[in-house]
Amino acid sequence: MSQPLLEVRDLSRRFGGLLAVDRVNFAVQPGEIFGLIGPNGAGKTTLFNVISGVTPPTGGSVFWRSQPISGQAPHRLNRLGLARTFQNLRLFDGLSVLENLLVALQRRPRSSALGGLLNSAGHQRAERQRLEAAWQLLEELGLTALAERQAGTLAYGDRRRLEMARALATGPSLLLLDEPAAGLNPAEKDQLCQLIGELRQRHQLTVMIIEHHVPLLMRLCNRMAVLDFGVRIALGTPEEVRRDPQVIEAYLGTGTGGSA
Amino acid sequence: MIDNGLLVQMLMGALLGLSVYLPLAAGQLSLATPAFYAVGGTLAALLSTRWSALGATANGGFPVPSLLLEMALGGVLAGLLALLVGRLVLRLQGIYLAIATIALVEIVRVAILNLPFTGGAVGIFAIPQPFDTAAGYLLPALALLALAGWLCQRLELMPLGRAMAAIRHDELAASCMGLDTTQVKLTAFVLSAMLAGSTGALAAHFLNTWNARQGSFDTSITTLAFVVLGGSRTWLGPVVGGLLLTALPELLRPVGDVRLVLFGLVILLGPVLAPQGLVTPALLERLGGWSLRSGASRKTENAQP
Repeated sequence: MSQPLLEVRDLSRRFGGLLAVDRVNFAVQPGEIFGLIGPNGAGKTTLFNVISGVTPPTGGSVFWRSQPISGQAPHRLNRLGLARTFQNLRLFDGLSVLENLLVALQRRPRSSALGGLLNSAGHQRAERQRLEAAWQLLEELGLTALAERQAGTLAYGDRRRLEMARALATGPSLLLLDEPAAGLNPAEKDQLCQLIGELRQRHQLTVMIIEHHVPLLMRLCNRMAVLDFGVRIALGTPEEVRRDPQVIEAYLGTGTGGSA
Repeated sequence: MIDNGLLVQMLMGALLGLSVYLPLAAGQLSLATPAFYAVGGTLAALLSTRWSALGATANGGFPVPSLLLEMALGGVLAGLLALLVGRLVLRLQGIYLAIATIALVEIVRVAILNLPFTGGAVGIFAIPQPFDTAAGYLLPALALLALAGWLCQRLELMPLGRAMAAIRHDELAASCMGLDTTQVKLTAFVLSAMLAGSTGALAAHFLNTWNARQGSFDTSITTLAFVVLGGSRTWLGPVVGGLLLTALPELLRPVGDVRLVLFGLVILLGPVLAPQGLVTPALLERLGGWSLRSGASRKTENAQP
């Protein structure tokens, strides 16, 4: 196997008496779509938070192209090529859709503050490039008509897509999607599924995705990991995971306790 | 009713309002403006009375270039102090940052009161005058305000200003989008301090005397009121707030002691009647011409393929 893009080794995160993530191991290969499922409270979002630098780990480490990255600030990790969306949507609500993307495009390309103040030719060129990239992304995600709208006023599905556009605008190689299909209707879920596939192709992305909707993941993912009470209980292709007795137990419970 | 002296004070009020606005535009409630104002003022008072090379004359005159140099130095010194202090206090958020910055104001005030060379409670007096009349101060005050306004206007159309707005909305999301939020906040804080420092240097000459009372907690609250009443969504808000609230107590002088009650009422009723302040982006859009918030998006229409 080639060098993994992201590797998590014995990663733990403890909140007081609660071990939210318990010595989790897995590696994400370049180009794959890697799913992360588990019942509510299994530690999926905490794991994302640790990987993206929002929460420091209490044990173990994260490696990016074999370099240790745990404990680094979120903006540093983003600059390495790791971008994320948020389950509970954290857009810049008061800014326009376009401005949300321009914020994320700050460094693509970089331009000097002095040039910006003096409105230099270099600054204008950089701004044009940022705008082009922003419009491009808006088109890819079907948000062009909403460009001037305030992000906070968008419909739910549009805001979900804007979250993805904003993360993509930072130019990541790994995109972490935290429940991108939450709250979407079945038709929208289908579209999203297709969209993620397309975006992966076009932006040469590796995607790591948390999702509750298991059929969607089964269709989308190359491999997936299953968390339960912070422990990784399964890892493999969707087919392998589906047949794993531990996974069945975590989702459906054991037969012994029920009415049998 | 409004004489030149009051006009100068109004302009300086607008400048201090902008100094509070800049960190606030990045979501940081800093009340440190009076501390930096005091630092700039004290520096100018000391330099012009002690350092003869600046050219203070025996009859209290002072060359204008020296005044400009002092304003620059006041800005730089205040900026350096902000750089030093900002690293520490900007780790705090919301009301905790406000309290830490109030502490800074107190530390600076007590330091100026007790340092052996700042004149104690009496302060430094007979600060030389670059202009014979108050009208002379209008020009440097206006120039500084124009510079600050231009800076704020440019910020809206460049990455730094956008980063500040993003942090104001959601700091965590901003950092996950690759923004070094600490650096952005620090930059806003330093710019704010430089503005207050330069204003202080100008004020020291204008007021003729300078003492520790010039930068106190009271000023923190007054300058914050400029922003609250004027509005914090565009830079014109604090300018309008600063101009109005500086003029108001003087304009109300004819009604006697009741004026302070009226002044308090205005500050109280302002946020009730205009929660977003007097100047809002929506208002500016209606007035046309000024396209502050929408400037970025308007430009983009051409860029759409």
